[in-house]
Amino acid sequence: LLIEILNSFFVLSSLIISIYLIRHYFFTLVVLRQTKNKSVPETFPPAFEPSVSILIPAHNEQKVIGKILQKMTELTYLRSKLEVIIIDDASTDKTGQIAEGMSEKYAFLKVLHRSSQEGGKGKAAALNAGLKQATGEIVLCFDADYLPHPDIVTRLVVKFIDPNVGAVQGRPVVLNEPRNIVTRLVALERIGGYRVDQEARDVLGLIPQFGGTVGGFRRSIINDLGGFDEKMLTEDTDLTFQMYLAGYKIRYAGEAECYEEAVDTWRAYWRQRHRWARGHMQVCFKHVFKVIMSKKMTLKEKIDGVLLLNIYFMPLLTLFSFFAGSLLIISGSSFAGALWVPVIISFYSFVGNYAPFFEIGIGAYLDGRKQIQWLAPLLIFSYLYNVLICGKAFLDLITGKIRRGKIDWEKTEHLGNGNCYIES
Amino acid sequence: LKILTVIEVAFFVLVIALCLIASYRFIDNPPKIATATLIIFNIFFISMFFQLNSSVTLKMGILSLGNLIGFLWNLFFYYVSLTGHGYFSLSFATFTTLAYPFLNLMWIVPFWSLSLSTLPKLNSANHT
Repeated sequence: LLIEILNSFFVLSSLIISIYLIRHYFFTLVVLRQTKNKSVPETFPPAFEPSVSILIPAHNEQKVIGKILQKMTELTYLRSKLEVIIIDDASTDKTGQIAEGMSEKYAFLKVLHRSSQEGGKGKAAALNAGLKQATGEIVLCFDADYLPHPDIVTRLVVKFIDPNVGAVQGRPVVLNEPRNIVTRLVALERIGGYRVDQEARDVLGLIPQFGGTVGGFRRSIINDLGGFDEKMLTEDTDLTFQMYLAGYKIRYAGEAECYEEAVDTWRAYWRQRHRWARGHMQVCFKHVFKVIMSKKMTLKEKIDGVLLLNIYFMPLLTLFSFFAGSLLIISGSSFAGALWVPVIISFYSFVGNYAPFFEIGIGAYLDGRKQIQWLAPLLIFSYLYNVLICGKAFLDLITGKIRRGKIDWEKTEHLGNGNCYIES
Repeated sequence: LKILTVIEVAFFVLVIALCLIASYRFIDNPPKIATATLIIFNIFFISMFFQLNSSVTLKMGILSLGNLIGFLWNLFFYYVSLTGHGYFSLSFATFTTLAYPFLNLMWIVPFWSLSLSTLPKLNSANHT
């Protein structure tokens, strides 16, 4: 009986794993085809220039805030239709002072200070405070460690010409990639996730994910939705599904690139991914049945939505599948053999988007990156580390930590280590 | 020049075919999985790698090199498993079955990465 149960579990889990692998194989082929056919770059109709508010939540970001504010002053978007709101979220360092100093020089830079009583409760709460001050038709968000290109607002905003588009997502590019192996692996992950995964979902009319930074949304929609849910650890993923459930679409603007400072230690990587994993699982529980039952989402959006929502459970499923398969092989079951292969291929996948090695390779090729390709075999170590992260997040979930609504916000520390790579 | 290209491509096809036949004929532990692995590798490689920016000759050359490496890799582990089986009996066969996909991905993933890095850059690469 035990063998039969193991067999059923193994067959089911490896089939689910295979669905994910086929999905990403298909994504890769779609992006390859899309890139071959795309010869003329997109042009921007000059008439479309809605008012834009940019929100920059910042909690103890003194090492990076000056750089992003400098980049804000270099934006080419019509200054009369642009406002930048820096949300100094109960900072105890010089973040507020630096922002005030810049604000005195440039009228379109505004600073919103939050006291220690009201601030420091997470990004969603800070963004909600900023939203109350925002007046723009479109609201864009940037994390404090991001360095956007001068034309990024135009490139993001152009997607809102379509009235069905509720939000848009640009592309983060790791700035401090050469620093060490952690930053290089994060860069590889970003390439697979954005250059292939997000692009394919956009092309196929699936669900490109709003990432909470280098992106934006219509202010009217977020107000109708009641702002960001402050109980959510990944307010961006939550907003993604709220948008689709409300009948709006999200577009991916791959040409809107923005540098970011990636985490550069394994400890920082753990803290960031653990928050993402917990938050994503939280959103999964909140939305998965609503997505299945939704009357405003198409069938393909529903399928993609369910797969996307469950992505942080996949490392655990793969691990359990591996153990089940091993036991079956040891017990002499011939059934396990063929289904064993997709389980092992999954060990060469990134966790955040489940992008397997071939997808990441094609992403790096399309970006014209050569040497970073050679790191693909190391994906297996990154994967095993992420199994632990997702396992811990899952344990937190089942012990009821998340459902009780307690949020332990683990802020990623930005040290400004990427600044040395900026051409002055 | 075209004739030369045809001869080169024909040679690479021959290498691939020989690798497949040899893997089917000489590697039997686990049964025929080496051949199946090479077939999967070829399908996977042709469907993606052949869409990229380079000459057919280079792509075929890389593909045939992949088949050759795959065949020799599998042959090596076949002999290792035969030897291991002699010493440890059935337990080693189980170990081989468990480890086989890992062992094959150990050459497929690096080979995929290195192959992509040999290709010329795409004209439309838009990375900053």
